[in-house]
Amino acid sequence: MKGYIGEFEELVLLTVAALGDDAYGVAIKEDIEKRSDRTISIGALHSTITRLEEKDFLTSWLGEPTEQRGGRSKRFFELTHKGKVALHHVKNLRDELWGLSKAKLALQK
Amino acid sequence: MKTDKNMRPPKWADRLLAWYCGNAPIDDLHGDIEELFYADLKTMSPGKARLRYWQQVLSLIFSYAIKKRKARVAHHTYSHTSISFAMMRSYFTVGLRAMLRNKTYSAINITGLSIGLACCLLLILYTKDELSYDHFHVQGSNIYQLTCDRVETSGQSKKFAIAAMVQGPAFAREIPEIKSLVRTKSQPTIIKKGTEIFDDQVQWVDDGFFSVFSFPLLSGHASSVLRELHSVVITPDVAARYFGTEDPMGKSLDIQVDGEFETFVVSGIARPSPANSTIKFRILLPFRYLEEIHPDNGWHWVSFQTYFLLNPGADPAAIKSKMSKVYETQAKTEIDEMRSMGYGDRFVWGLQPFESMHLNTEYEGVPEASDPLYSYVLLGIALFILLIACINFINIAIAQSLSRSKEIGVRKVIGGQRIQLIGQFLGESFLLCLLSFVLAILLAQLALPMFNVVAEKQLSLTYLWDTNLVTGLCLLLLATSLVSGFYPAMVLSSLNPIKSLYNKVSFSAHYLSRSLVVIQFALATTLIIATLFMHEQFSFLTKKELGYNDRNLLEITIEKAIMDKQLTRRLKSEFSRVPGVEMVAPRNVGRFRRPVKAGGKEFPAVYEHVDEDYFSTLEIPVVAGRAFSKDYPADSISGAVVNQAFVNEVGWDDPIGKTIDYMDIPGWGDKKLTIVGVTKDYHFESLKEKIKPQVFTYESRLPLGVFLVRIKPDNIPSTLTALETTFRKDAPFDSFQYTFKDDSNREMYRAEARWKQIITLGSILTVFISGIGLFGLTALSTKRRTKEIGIRKMLGASSATIMSTISLDFIKLIFISFIISIPLVSYGLSLWLNNFAYRIDFNVQTYAFAALLSVAIAMISIGAQVAKAAIANPIESLNQD
Repeated sequence: MKGYIGEFEELVLLTVAALGDDAYGVAIKEDIEKRSDRTISIGALHSTITRLEEKDFLTSWLGEPTEQRGGRSKRFFELTHKGKVALHHVKNLRDELWGLSKAKLALQK
Repeated sequence: MKTDKNMRPPKWADRLLAWYCGNAPIDDLHGDIEELFYADLKTMSPGKARLRYWQQVLSLIFSYAIKKRKARVAHHTYSHTSISFAMMRSYFTVGLRAMLRNKTYSAINITGLSIGLACCLLLILYTKDELSYDHFHVQGSNIYQLTCDRVETSGQSKKFAIAAMVQGPAFAREIPEIKSLVRTKSQPTIIKKGTEIFDDQVQWVDDGFFSVFSFPLLSGHASSVLRELHSVVITPDVAARYFGTEDPMGKSLDIQVDGEFETFVVSGIARPSPANSTIKFRILLPFRYLEEIHPDNGWHWVSFQTYFLLNPGADPAAIKSKMSKVYETQAKTEIDEMRSMGYGDRFVWGLQPFESMHLNTEYEGVPEASDPLYSYVLLGIALFILLIACINFINIAIAQSLSRSKEIGVRKVIGGQRIQLIGQFLGESFLLCLLSFVLAILLAQLALPMFNVVAEKQLSLTYLWDTNLVTGLCLLLLATSLVSGFYPAMVLSSLNPIKSLYNKVSFSAHYLSRSLVVIQFALATTLIIATLFMHEQFSFLTKKELGYNDRNLLEITIEKAIMDKQLTRRLKSEFSRVPGVEMVAPRNVGRFRRPVKAGGKEFPAVYEHVDEDYFSTLEIPVVAGRAFSKDYPADSISGAVVNQAFVNEVGWDDPIGKTIDYMDIPGWGDKKLTIVGVTKDYHFESLKEKIKPQVFTYESRLPLGVFLVRIKPDNIPSTLTALETTFRKDAPFDSFQYTFKDDSNREMYRAEARWKQIITLGSILTVFISGIGLFGLTALSTKRRTKEIGIRKMLGASSATIMSTISLDFIKLIFISFIISIPLVSYGLSLWLNNFAYRIDFNVQTYAFAALLSVAIAMISIGAQVAKAAIANPIESLNQD
């Protein structure tokens, strides 16, 4: 299944996009936790990030070391073109399905 | 401070993470969790934050992210850890080249290792043979030997692996667990073939012999072959001796029994017993025959090996208690009689597994029984030698590491990993060991004939062909290459590539190689000291004044004379007339130790019946009173001569004329003896035993079977022939058995002579291997110090100063090892020396000589190298780069 991405992967990719220049491990973790109201471990997050890098959806670079992190540098992430295409792909699929939906998806107030 | 510490991430979690990740880059991940920790600190207690930090660390450790990063570092573009043929071939070539380039050092290693391995091979052979003794009998686990434990009233006990004639059948009859029994008795005899007379050895055995033991028969049937009273079973070489190529079955042999020739008919041919069998035989005769001509119902005169085949699963302990019941009922009258005569000895009958008897020296009467200590000590020495060879390898490999440092640097730079380098060096040491092993097999094969003589065995290398041993040898090979190769591999592989490529390796395995040299020389000096003291003790044993003159003294035992007083007299006068004979003195055959009462004391004394010429023939000085004489008729009735030990035991000042009460002399009744003389103590036993109180009696009625003949030192062969001719006149078919007293005295120290040989050989080998190791090490260290020496010379040091500086370094080490070895070897030697009642003392001279010897050996090993380095022109050494 070429270009398939899972739900958590999609979340990570979108968060990286949302954070822009400030997308690094802790920021991504906190953003997802805040928005989705769930706790994720740093290990799980980085595993997913590593897989996304392997699939060539993300690239990364090391920032300058900062005092705040005991002199350790941050690794920043950015979407690749392929990553963007994959997100579009998912979104189109969703939109299509939403449009085709026969049942009323609107929630009652 | 406490809060401060809590405000930081837990140290151990960091360590765990760093350790787990190794050299994988995880700075960013680490930074993430640290940032999270500080954020957490703002919202929760430090304890909780730390706990969360731990959770994060663990989540990382188990995450795919780190697994991936670790994998990426491990797989450098140019490296992979999988085994590839090309790489192996390269290792092989490089290793071989290194070996060939340093021929001297490789030779040192290979020589040492192959000698060490060859020693191990031989010792494995020896031990295997020792352990395999008597294990070839199919029913072996159910064969037990009857033992006899004679407990004296003093509580002392003497253990025998022999019994009297009655025990076997009596126990077998009464105890159902005993399936069958075999008694054996070996005896020298004479066999007549036509007019020819042969000396040979026969063995009387019960007819169950071939069904209990697994000695295969070539002809005849196991269960019936010895059933006939006049049947005989022989081995093929006996058949060849008496019948040549003819078929021996049904032929007859004339065997002398009790002085008469009896005809026995060959009923079977048995394959000769294997070398590792306690029971050795040539000619087997039915035991029943012996039983019929010498019926004996006594229980206490033990002289026959008795073996029982028990039912499988029978309990030897239960049988033992049954045996004692049988003994108490059936031997009751005899026991009572013994008690009434004043014998307090108790007899306890026991069973010992036959298979274990060879390595059991507790019991008397097991031919060829050997002390397992031999195997342990020998194996220990072989391992010593191997260890010393391994130390040579380690020392040389490390001292030589400089020459390999560039190679290691290059390998590391292009992606070689440490584990690969370790593998490479271990592989090299394995190859070297393998080569040494092949040489060791050759060496062992060459040394085997000599080893067989020393060890008194008939071993062959083909014994090594058995699955366990081959596996064992492979393990030995692996262990040797690991012991010698592991440390150098670790050191070499740890070299920093940058330093090694820029020639900046400063190498200091100084401490290690120094301590290893100390260990080596401690082992070597231990053996040197042991050898010296053993030689000293041995020459003490063989040269000590025995209190009598054992040179040119013949001891002839004449069986017939034991029972025949007339013959004793006649032979004495006839022997005295033989030209070349100076004096003849007969004595009784045994030496008995019996309780005696003297001066109000009761103690055991050794009792000997002698002739009036005994003391003068043996040249034993009489220190008080006089020797026995025909002129005093009372001597033969109540006279006694005692030795000084006897007088000292009683505490008499003037023993002459005192009386002693000898309680147990057969037919002596309660007669008292009067002391007529005192002799100087003489060693009638080996020097392991203290001289015991001794009583000589002169009873002219009693027959004496041992003739001590003093002969002139010239024309000994013709004197011997004349003596034999004289002897033959009375006993034409008996064998003329004589020994030279000094030979038989030396024979008492056979075991000691063997130990001496073994330790000497061991120490020569250890010294040799440590010597060549030291040679190699000095060569390398002087090479490394060439520049230093050059500078010293430039600044005015003389060659002599330089030589002494370098040698002193080594002498110090030798000295330390000497100090270490002294307590060890002194302890071991004192254990050995305690076997002897008469022994040498530890003396400073010997230690000093040993020290001198080891220093000399060290100097010989290092001398040439040191001199070469010291004499060298400093210009050349300083001009090197």
